[in-house]
Amino acid sequence: MNGVWGITLRGMEARKVEVEVEIAGGLFAISIVGLPDAAVRESKERVRAALRSLGLAVRGRVAVNLAPADLPKEGAVLDLPIALGIARAMGSIPDIPPGIFLGELALDGRLRGIRGAVAAAILARDSGIPLFVPDGNLEEVSLVSGCSAFGAESLEDVFAFLRGEKELKPAGEFVPSSGTCSPDPDFADIRGQAGARRALEIAAAGHHNVLFTGSPGSGKTLLARALQGILPPLSTDEFLETALVRSTLGIPFDRGMKPPFRTVHHTASIVSICGGGSTLRPGEVSLAHRGVLFLDEFPEFRRDLLEGLRQPLEDGRITVSRASGSVTYPCRVLLVAACNPCPCGWAGDPVEKCTCSVPELERYQRKISGPILDRIDLHVPVPRLLPEELVAVEDTGAEPSSAIAIRVRNARELQRKRWAGTGFSCNAELPERMVKRSLMLSADVRPFLSSMAERLRLSGRGISRVLKVARTIADLASTEKVQVPHVAEALAYRDGGGRS
Amino acid sequence: MTAKHLERGRQGEDIAASFVEELGWKILDRNVVFRGGELDIVAMDSSELVIAEVRTRAEGWMQPGEDSVGPRKLGRLVRSGRLYTDMTGWEGPWRIDILSVTMKKDGTHSIERFEDVTGGAWFS
Repeated sequence: MNGVWGITLRGMEARKVEVEVEIAGGLFAISIVGLPDAAVRESKERVRAALRSLGLAVRGRVAVNLAPADLPKEGAVLDLPIALGIARAMGSIPDIPPGIFLGELALDGRLRGIRGAVAAAILARDSGIPLFVPDGNLEEVSLVSGCSAFGAESLEDVFAFLRGEKELKPAGEFVPSSGTCSPDPDFADIRGQAGARRALEIAAAGHHNVLFTGSPGSGKTLLARALQGILPPLSTDEFLETALVRSTLGIPFDRGMKPPFRTVHHTASIVSICGGGSTLRPGEVSLAHRGVLFLDEFPEFRRDLLEGLRQPLEDGRITVSRASGSVTYPCRVLLVAACNPCPCGWAGDPVEKCTCSVPELERYQRKISGPILDRIDLHVPVPRLLPEELVAVEDTGAEPSSAIAIRVRNARELQRKRWAGTGFSCNAELPERMVKRSLMLSADVRPFLSSMAERLRLSGRGISRVLKVARTIADLASTEKVQVPHVAEALAYRDGGGRS
Repeated sequence: MTAKHLERGRQGEDIAASFVEELGWKILDRNVVFRGGELDIVAMDSSELVIAEVRTRAEGWMQPGEDSVGPRKLGRLVRSGRLYTDMTGWEGPWRIDILSVTMKKDGTHSIERFEDVTGGAWFS
């Protein structure tokens, strides 16, 4: 008896599963052992119908064993290996060559796309064996270079291939889609807000977190959305990381290299954001990996949720631990948060009057804890424009997103070149130990920073974050050394800009 | 003198038996009686043992014959089938078919076969 290899997902990682089949005499029955979940157990109906559609009537008592026995198996991805195992045990197909087979079967034998194909491709590449996937997954699998993958449309195709009657379609070279869509909203359409525009440019260039504070209607949300249009495109490796998370959740594959942009409503649960559940799925923070996580109405989020983001924001990784195991997901996100200055929203407004009492104000500001604020590099006040500024019809003359995007892209290229070989791609990712050594500060920065750190009571993390932002500002100016003005600008964005 | 419906049932089984022989099955046994059940026809369909339950109805009955085999009867058939395979030492695959015979008023009849009615469902 020879087994057929399939996979099951454990977090974002694919684990090999060997499917063994034995057929004994008796009344027809299929029993599946090896900790199958409901989807795997139901596969017997799909497999039987699919085999019947090819004219194979399964008879006798069929025992399917999924090894290793103590690893829980989930999902419909094991349909294809189970069907192949049964067909092999019946003698309908020749010996199955080494390879990993994935696919959910339709009742007529077609193969449906599955979750986790990218993870399986990585596993197949590392094990040095070919991968067989449904046609629908072939494109995302082609992202993993060095993996020899083949796509099949139906169970019949796979049978024909195993019998040597037909070749399967190999995965081609991955071609990112070149189509660029115009950014919406475009920075050219945004009036005023010079400070916020500059902050977003820095954020996009160095992947720094941003907090917008402003009255209702001042344009916080608009600005955050405009950030999408100036983010630099992902590198192939980064794109693979995002595709891996998306494939784990079964989100359809998109060839565009755009960084993700995830907007989360404040009613979100901790599990939906941080990941978890009985199957240890990744959350929004991991879906936003290498892209933007936008939390509008920041203080309205549950406090424990915001506190739960502390460690992931710092480490770029989140470890979800449950009784069923623990899994680590990437979550290198650019956090964009937006909030009002006070519950009524008008504190600091030039025209409207704030009606909040002092205790109300304090309670509101307490909702966002110091540790969270400390992790946000760019605190940006967004003042409301005066009516006469808003109604003006003439062209704003503001710089369009495309022009900003070019500067951002150049700055990011500088960072990629500088950190090449270290595994980092942007300034914000840099670990503490590398900050002071590798940022190339000019000589007068140190005394300036130490005097300011004392005056502003900056934390250790605060100082290194200021330095990273200063590095990004210097990159935007294409200066090799970080100068005092860069640090001064970075300091201006630290906490205290708009709040308190 | 046999009751009329039993007479008809007997006829139906004969019709079914000749029907399966025409299909090329080899009939091994008929009316094997066990405690708790009877097997109408036991036959060999190439390499698979078939236990056929024959149901006969006169034309015009509200409920077709095959409908009268419910889960309880199916359970009995499975148990009797196991006893039969144990008794004969058959170790290959086997299945349960239902042959539904309809007697028409003009003396002709029609027959319908339902293959492998347990379909993987578990009967203890």
